[in-house]
Amino acid sequence: MADDRRNEDFRSMLARMERDGHMRRIKKTIRPEHVTALCGQAPAALMCEAVEGYDIPIVGGLYWTRARMASALGWRESELGARFAAAVARPIAPETVSTGVCQEIVVTGDDIDLTALPIPFMHEKDGGPYISAGVAFANDPKLGPNAGCYRMMFRTQRELGIDLFTASDLRRYYQATFDRNESLPIAVAVGVHVFEHMAAAYKAPAGLNEMHIAGGLRGEPLQMVRCKTVDVVVPAHAEIVLEGELLPTGWTVDEGPFGEFAGMQGDLKHNPLFRISAITHRRNPVFYALQMPWENDWLNGPATEAACARVLGLAGIQVNAVRATEGGCCGWSVVAAIKKRAGEGKNAIAALLSLPVVKQVIVTDDDINIYNSDEVEWAVTFRCQADKDIVILSGMKGKHVDPSVRPWDLKPGELPTTSKFGIDATIPEGIPAFRYERIVPAFHADIRAEDYLS
Amino acid sequence: MSAASDAGLVAKIEGLLRQPVYFRDVLAAARDQPYRAILRAWSDVRIHHALARDEFGRYWLEK
Repeated sequence: MADDRRNEDFRSMLARMERDGHMRRIKKTIRPEHVTALCGQAPAALMCEAVEGYDIPIVGGLYWTRARMASALGWRESELGARFAAAVARPIAPETVSTGVCQEIVVTGDDIDLTALPIPFMHEKDGGPYISAGVAFANDPKLGPNAGCYRMMFRTQRELGIDLFTASDLRRYYQATFDRNESLPIAVAVGVHVFEHMAAAYKAPAGLNEMHIAGGLRGEPLQMVRCKTVDVVVPAHAEIVLEGELLPTGWTVDEGPFGEFAGMQGDLKHNPLFRISAITHRRNPVFYALQMPWENDWLNGPATEAACARVLGLAGIQVNAVRATEGGCCGWSVVAAIKKRAGEGKNAIAALLSLPVVKQVIVTDDDINIYNSDEVEWAVTFRCQADKDIVILSGMKGKHVDPSVRPWDLKPGELPTTSKFGIDATIPEGIPAFRYERIVPAFHADIRAEDYLS
Repeated sequence: MSAASDAGLVAKIEGLLRQPVYFRDVLAAARDQPYRAILRAWSDVRIHHALARDEFGRYWLEK
């Protein structure tokens, strides 16, 4: 059945996106280093079927827009945050199965060669070809299994640099083994369903297995299989799995630069080394090359919208809709429509700006369609007085990735602070709603455009 | 056995790395070669040399 999405895998998701018109197949031969430029110009996600020198197709641009993300999820665009929140509230533990299609082909020993995969060079100033869609799985004796998204730079036929520069659970796991001068076994799945990818991108509290959230998103247990050379489980339906260990070399190996999530070229870093002990994959695998920045950002968009709705709820504000915008990398800029009572426009701004990443917000009344930027601009234009309705907060927690906080001026270990602002574009107190009565075309209910335009 | 790299291509990349270059420059200089052959040669270069990097991410062979 077309609508049966039980145990849907990555390639079934692609097929559904293709049916929805959100993915197109490219037959013409292309080199791996040209895929990112092509994806950036395309009106849909692309499956490049003929990659020069490879028999593995590259797919990219899957979550480049809100519409494509919604298509991948099979959800309506307006319900991303609400459905993500519901899944987090109802986690479902994965089940371990004895076999998985991700191990139909197993490559070990001297046969390991990362150049057999079409790992693309993506951005002009990148330090090398990158695996951008890797979901890393690891175990910690105390904290249990963990999954997260980490970029990996091609170094040699058996080695990748992995970015563990910023704080993360995997960094914590690695630090513990590094302190004992031991390697950390990990496995990296490339080409997993959006449910697993989005759950891995979510910053779940330590001790909460992200794959339980993936189960919540699926509404059923995720099937996982034990790796061949490391004691780690991975999604059984992954396209490609890289097994191996993070060597106890610490943060010593050059990695980067890479075109990062904020849309700017990142810095050269020093990071751990990932040595491969096995490459397993499906027969005829698909290589997924996640395209920066929007595709990466949209993986976090639903979680941002869920967090915004939660803090507004905690503030006692009735939320109509929340939209994390692409220009704000689906986290830094938010528009919220609320059913306002006196003063709640400002309360909503204060609540939203308390979130660590959110830097700018616009709050509107619930008659504004916040998915239409023109309507939001209209509300800002006519419902906002700049000297009364713009809230600026200074000295709040900032992020190094934001050049406007001048992170290069900070001392080592010093954290940046930032100013944030919100625009209260709700109808000001004391102005009656009828002053904003919209014009309505005469007899609009009697007219259907398709009757005249078709 | 993993495939061997092309010695000529390795030498070409080593020559290129006498001055600081981006990885993009390596690809551009070898664009007449298959992508996979370039990555194999790059792998060989990285195994046999400790490459220097600058703050912009450029590579070169230290004397």
